Amino acid sequence: MAATPHRLPLLWLLLPAGLLYGGLALYPLAGMLQMSLTEGWGHYAEVTQGRLLWRAATNTVAISLTTTAIALLLGYVLAAGLWRCGPATRALLLAFIMLPFWTAVLVKNFAWAALLQDNGVVNGLLQWAGLTTAPVTLLHNRLAVIIGMVHYVLPYAVFPIYTAMRGIDLRVERAARSLGAGTLALFWTVLLPLTMPGVLSAGLLAFIVSAGFYVTPVVLGSPSDMMVSNLVSYYVHELVDFNAAAALAMLILAAITPVIVLQQFASRGQHGGG
Amino acid sequence: MTVSGRSVEVRGLHKNYGPHLAVRDVSFHLQPGEFLTLLGPSGSGKTTTLMMVAGFEAPDRGEILVAGQDVAGLPPERRNFGVVFQGYALFPHMSVLENVAFPLRMRGLPGAEQRRRAGEMLEKVGLSAFAGRQPRQLSGGQQQRVALARALVFEPDALLLDEPLGALDRKLRESLQQEIKAIQRRVGISILFVTHDQDEAMGMSDRIAVMAEGRLVQLGSPAEVYLHPRTPFVAGFLGETNFLTGSFCGVADGLAVLRFADGSLGRARLPDGVAVPEQGGKALLSVRPERLRLLPDGPVAGVVESCTFLGRHARYVVQALGQSLALSTTEWSPGAALPAGAAVRLGWAAEDAQLLDG
Amino acid sequence: MAEAERGSRGGRALLLAAAAPILLFLLLPSLIIVPMALTRGQLLQFPPEWVSVRPFLDYVGDGNWTASTLLSLQVALLATLVGAVCGTAAAVGLHGRRFTGRGLLIGLIMSPIVVPVVVLALGQYLVFARLQLLGSPLSIGLAHGLLATPYVFISVQTSLAANLDPALIRSARSLGARFPSVLRHVYWPAVRPGLGAGALLGFAVSFDEVVIALFLQGPQGVTLPVRMFTAIQFELTPKIAAAASVFIALAVLGLVVQALGRRGEVQP
Repeated sequence: MAATPHRLPLLWLLLPAGLLYGGLALYPLAGMLQMSLTEGWGHYAEVTQGRLLWRAATNTVAISLTTTAIALLLGYVLAAGLWRCGPATRALLLAFIMLPFWTAVLVKNFAWAALLQDNGVVNGLLQWAGLTTAPVTLLHNRLAVIIGMVHYVLPYAVFPIYTAMRGIDLRVERAARSLGAGTLALFWTVLLPLTMPGVLSAGLLAFIVSAGFYVTPVVLGSPSDMMVSNLVSYYVHELVDFNAAAALAMLILAAITPVIVLQQFASRGQHGGG
Repeated sequence: MTVSGRSVEVRGLHKNYGPHLAVRDVSFHLQPGEFLTLLGPSGSGKTTTLMMVAGFEAPDRGEILVAGQDVAGLPPERRNFGVVFQGYALFPHMSVLENVAFPLRMRGLPGAEQRRRAGEMLEKVGLSAFAGRQPRQLSGGQQQRVALARALVFEPDALLLDEPLGALDRKLRESLQQEIKAIQRRVGISILFVTHDQDEAMGMSDRIAVMAEGRLVQLGSPAEVYLHPRTPFVAGFLGETNFLTGSFCGVADGLAVLRFADGSLGRARLPDGVAVPEQGGKALLSVRPERLRLLPDGPVAGVVESCTFLGRHARYVVQALGQSLALSTTEWSPGAALPAGAAVRLGWAAEDAQLLDG
Repeated sequence: MAEAERGSRGGRALLLAAAAPILLFLLLPSLIIVPMALTRGQLLQFPPEWVSVRPFLDYVGDGNWTASTLLSLQVALLATLVGAVCGTAAAVGLHGRRFTGRGLLIGLIMSPIVVPVVVLALGQYLVFARLQLLGSPLSIGLAHGLLATPYVFISVQTSLAANLDPALIRSARSLGARFPSVLRHVYWPAVRPGLGAGALLGFAVSFDEVVIALFLQGPQGVTLPVRMFTAIQFELTPKIAAAASVFIALAVLGLVVQALGRRGEVQP
């Protein structure tokens, strides 16, 4: 008897989420899968044979990897700052890191566009400093896209690394020092290896988030910086070819799913180990 | 391997945490090859003192000398002490062998030499078979031995141990205590040991430094601090004791004489350095339960409150001088036990009681 | 041992010196939005020529922009409601339960955060187009509810883990409490802090979202971010900056509430 009232609520409690995910995620996915297969593999062939996909895919991988690498480097420094500073400084740093997290991606990109445009702040400073006389083109290129994306992704990179750092026992660090490790040796032999699970988790998360970008390449990049998400939109809004768009969406999902699964394992391993 | 232990001298160490004094004017001299224990309750400043010696905390004042050389300005990694932490602090991402080889690697020894010496050290602590394991695959006792091996392998000037046995169960603690002593005898290293466990301190140390509220209150051999405590704190912290209050009558034959509230007289040792109270002033003495005796002609009258048989000895609680006194005796047989309410007389040998400071 | 003892004072100063430019990089965009919204001229520039509230008046006076702002608010409220119900119910259902597939189930609930949003957007577009529901607050709000759910779920889950011992539920049940009563007296106090934080985050996620709203838009159904997205591609004007200031205000509000919430956790 005791087990019965316990079982029933689980299903009822999962029902709202089940309906929502079923109706707005699984059903649409199934619909897209069906649409993409109306002519056998024809729509897939159509998408993969065009040069656009190749261009968008290499753009996506190159931009995402660059973004991830820079975000990890900067994120590591921020995480270390959070870890080492006192509680008051930490609260301030956390607020600074979380503010962009709470700010709409569009607003951030708009601000970067305003900063980087020909008569924007950055060019103003460059000319004021006498480094250049004519405005330098900083907007609508790959660099601008990467700046905007690193800015977006950075908070995602900080927290897994910070979590890994907090898991390091102060005594382990002190043991290394007492055994003769100076600051650099301590970093390379103890701190870096012990934070690697966090770095891995952060890197995969940053890559996943980067690879799904849509807005930033449009606002800050040029047409040649198109990423795969933009290509979906191109098939829908320019070519009005829904079957091809569906096939492309399925390909994107198939490509990113293994990375997502890997990230899940990496972040779980991190919690288990710490 | 023989490590010739060095002396470590601490002079006038002071440390504040904000307005709070953590360590006040602590001085001691760890002799080469000696086992010195800092014993005290939590918050007594013993770990802070050890961390200052190791270099993890900067003293506000005072000197730390290793074989006569001041090391206060050196960072921990250049002090050459082997430190063993509570919880062992092994590197979780390195094998047992890599853990033990770590200090040798930091000292730039060639890889083959590192492995050879780490291997030898593991053999000494009986863990050769575990060289390739990860620390988390070992039991607590084995991890402890790895931590010891790692702290000894680079032939440090002294070993500093911070409650290293705190996390282990009683049986394992006792066997590891013996093991640490045996290793010390074999390599002749100086050891500074921190614990809050008086049995551990008594069983292992050459000398014990008792700490309370940031001060070193008494320093001496285990027998000295146990038999001749200076202050009520030391008397009470190391084992059980009875405190008796009386008025000070004077000194006769080198012994202090007290008059108790019921008019009886008691005598006690007058240790060197204890402040002698003024005539008629309040005085406090301590007598251990096993030194308090039932004597037909004892000076103090009392009434038995209870008697408990505990195997090796029997324990009486006696109402006397307006308080409950504990008395333990091995002269006990089932038939001869005194019942509750029996009138008795108590006494002690003068050298078994201590006049205390305060 | 105080955490602040890690590392030397010099090392800490060096680290903060290295972190300072990165923090500036993080803050810069947020810092320039409001001043840019105060520009007098039509062309957006910094520093602004004259301080003027005209861009704000332009923004408030444009019927299209105010309609979009209202739509965004409607959508975000619906999304928050949907996310709060689905996320909280799932978190309560899974709390303190162990079964095979639990990890996978949580992974599925969290998936809208990591799945490329364009994939969801296209799928939902195809569904709602067939239902002739494009451009309605209902369709966009429900779709955003899917994005808000994982944030509410994780927040409530954390709050439950911190505040509710599964043994307490068993003891309440052993004392004869029925499920609705357990829900109200045992779960609700533990759920509330997480629900507040999660709902706020869910609101922000919906209010800020562009891609789904772009795919699901209709002639009468353009959210504020979509209108901005379209406008930015055309020209950078102070009016956009004025609209963006609304988002900055929301972000600051979110930060403050989050900070207050964290203080509440420390001193219950």
